[in-house]
Amino acid sequence: MTDTRIERLAALLVDYSLELREGKVLRIDSLDAGSPLVLALYGAALRAGGLPYTNVSLSGLGEALFQYGSDEQLTYLSPIQWEEIEHLDALVTIWSESNTRAFSRVDPTRHAAYIAAQRKLSNRRWERISSGEMSWCGTLYPTNAHAQEAEMSLAEYEDFVYAACHVHEKDPAAHWRAVSSQLKARAAELGGVRELRILGPETDLRVGVEGRSWLAADGRYNLPDGEVFTSPLETETEGEIRYTFPAVYHGREVEDVRLRFEGGRVVEAEAARGDDYLQSLLEMDAGARVLGEVAFGLNYEIDRFTRNILFDEKIGGTMHLALGSGFPQSGGQNTSGLHWDMICDLRREGEVHADGELIWKDGRFLADPVLEMVESRVRG
Amino acid sequence: MSSDRVLRLADVLVGYSTRVREGDLVCIDTGPAAAPLIRELWRRVLEAGGHPQLRLDVDGAPELLLREGSDEQMSWVSPLRRAEVEKADVRIAVYADVNTRANSGVDPERQARLERAHDPIRRIHFSRVASGDLRYVVTLYPTLAAAQDADMSLSDYEDFVFRAGLLERDDPRAEWEALGRAYGLVADRLGRHAEIRVVGDGTDLTLGVNGRTWVASDGRENFPDGEVFTGPVESRVDGTISFTYPSSHAGRRISGVKLEFRGGEVVRAEAEEGETFLREMLALDEGARRAGEFAFGLNEALTEFTGHTLFDEKIGGTVHLALGASYPETGGQVQSALHWDLVCDLRNGGEVYADGELVYRDGRFLDGVV
Repeated sequence: MTDTRIERLAALLVDYSLELREGKVLRIDSLDAGSPLVLALYGAALRAGGLPYTNVSLSGLGEALFQYGSDEQLTYLSPIQWEEIEHLDALVTIWSESNTRAFSRVDPTRHAAYIAAQRKLSNRRWERISSGEMSWCGTLYPTNAHAQEAEMSLAEYEDFVYAACHVHEKDPAAHWRAVSSQLKARAAELGGVRELRILGPETDLRVGVEGRSWLAADGRYNLPDGEVFTSPLETETEGEIRYTFPAVYHGREVEDVRLRFEGGRVVEAEAARGDDYLQSLLEMDAGARVLGEVAFGLNYEIDRFTRNILFDEKIGGTMHLALGSGFPQSGGQNTSGLHWDMICDLRREGEVHADGELIWKDGRFLADPVLEMVESRVRG
Repeated sequence: MSSDRVLRLADVLVGYSTRVREGDLVCIDTGPAAAPLIRELWRRVLEAGGHPQLRLDVDGAPELLLREGSDEQMSWVSPLRRAEVEKADVRIAVYADVNTRANSGVDPERQARLERAHDPIRRIHFSRVASGDLRYVVTLYPTLAAAQDADMSLSDYEDFVFRAGLLERDDPRAEWEALGRAYGLVADRLGRHAEIRVVGDGTDLTLGVNGRTWVASDGRENFPDGEVFTGPVESRVDGTISFTYPSSHAGRRISGVKLEFRGGEVVRAEAEEGETFLREMLALDEGARRAGEFAFGLNEALTEFTGHTLFDEKIGGTVHLALGASYPETGGQVQSALHWDLVCDLRNGGEVYADGELVYRDGRFLDGVV
């Protein structure tokens, strides 16, 4: 029996996220475990008049590349992949792991070399995405491995994922359109703020954001989605922050991270577990000690930590502040090789002040955004 | 299949059939049911210094396209497929069907259209294989669906597939090389003749083969293997041929096919089962009514029909004829989106004459070359 939520997620991706039009080429990337969603997407794309094709691989082959491949094989980029990128109008990435810890034992140096090589391909992809030549959306198909990571049964995890995407409802696109205008209004409002002050347990951090653009993450690039984010001024972060959720980078967890910033840079850092890893990542390059992102998580269907950044960074009532690279489209200048999202839970006792005014308490903005602001900005 | 068997199969495919070398881009095309073989192929290709790339079929996707696709969607070829056939050094295709009859309810005319759309890809593939630019092998991973077609349990079918590949022998590569030399003798012998006449139950067909090359097929392009094939002279196929055993083609079952050729073209065609489909295939394009290939099956380890052409066409004592495209390396000229092998059993009273002389009876060459 087909889960209608899969069909709705597929239709939402095709019609809302990608806005796939007749005659447009869509590639669907997945591992074999994501096949039910691959097939539903393929059907939805056909019905939209698109030209879909599938690019499905088998779980376990990535690890084998590390195990048996030489350095040259590890960093090889196939001419087929280069050729394909130029032909795509749209791309969906379905994350659907059968073992989320498959790379745990891989040599970090080799892993870094692999990622650096793949980045050449993804840079070209992002070039085409940023210029509007192609659209992209990343989503997840629930597997036992992801459920296990989240400490849920598969059935519970499916409910969690599909509720977060709002595909348990009849008309998810209507929901996301409404979310989109809310988030855009909020982003426009935050665009007028010079400084945010974040107060919480062992947290008192001032983040300068003057002149930076806030962006609404409204289901175009990720499903689920639901955040507003920007890149803060690189030299204007002062104070300290304690991250209540474990900070995960490439599958490795660092617990109870505390950071102190001066003049935009981390000057003190400690973690209850994984401190060595934290210190080594801070040494990656000059930008690794500087924030690249500050964001509000606003998807209140996501109410718990599941060890997957696709969901965790959108937990309603949290903020995340990432160390490392920023977003050029926000005005961010940080070009670090690191982008490490760390999540701060502000749902119990948390306050955010904007230029001295309390705007957020215990995980909620105090007032709805004023929708007219969007229009005035557009006109301006 | 047990991991030991899978290992041996992967070893032969990578080390012998496609001879993967350092730097080769190796494209693997198959379905998820072949997962154990894929993992072993992946490892072997990496160990040989190649760059493996996998494209997995998604069960149900082709059927969706056949049922719901518009004209534009049906005639479109993905950039992945095109880039793969143009840029790969090696292709390994593995049949791993989970349902060999999934397309039974699909309009045959639409199937024909889909095949036509992929003709440009087929042409590139055939010509790169013929010129040696692309090394290609097709094999089968035993699935329940294929076992069901063969009227066998999965474990019996696995035994059958394993033995057909001579994989239980100490050195399968050496076995295939030796067989290749023996098949070469048959090819040499047939190459001396201008005309072949096949006579059997419901069959009396004469084919001109003057100037054409007979190719001995030794486990490199098909695995398992065992045939010598050529491309008959296009205007010189005359008479009738009846095909013995039902087969699954393009996701549906066909049986009792009987064809009459005149001047190289099919002038009459009938089938007990799947006749509409047969007619659509014959109407596919200009070349689909012609015999692009004629071949002798020579693999004595294969004795029973199993419903899969990869095996049936190699049964020692059979011949097969393909409607549609010929292989350029034989000198055959037929161009078509179709290449459909149909098998005729000659083990019970069948005869073959070469330039009028009886050379083959009851499924064997009389001078015992094989």
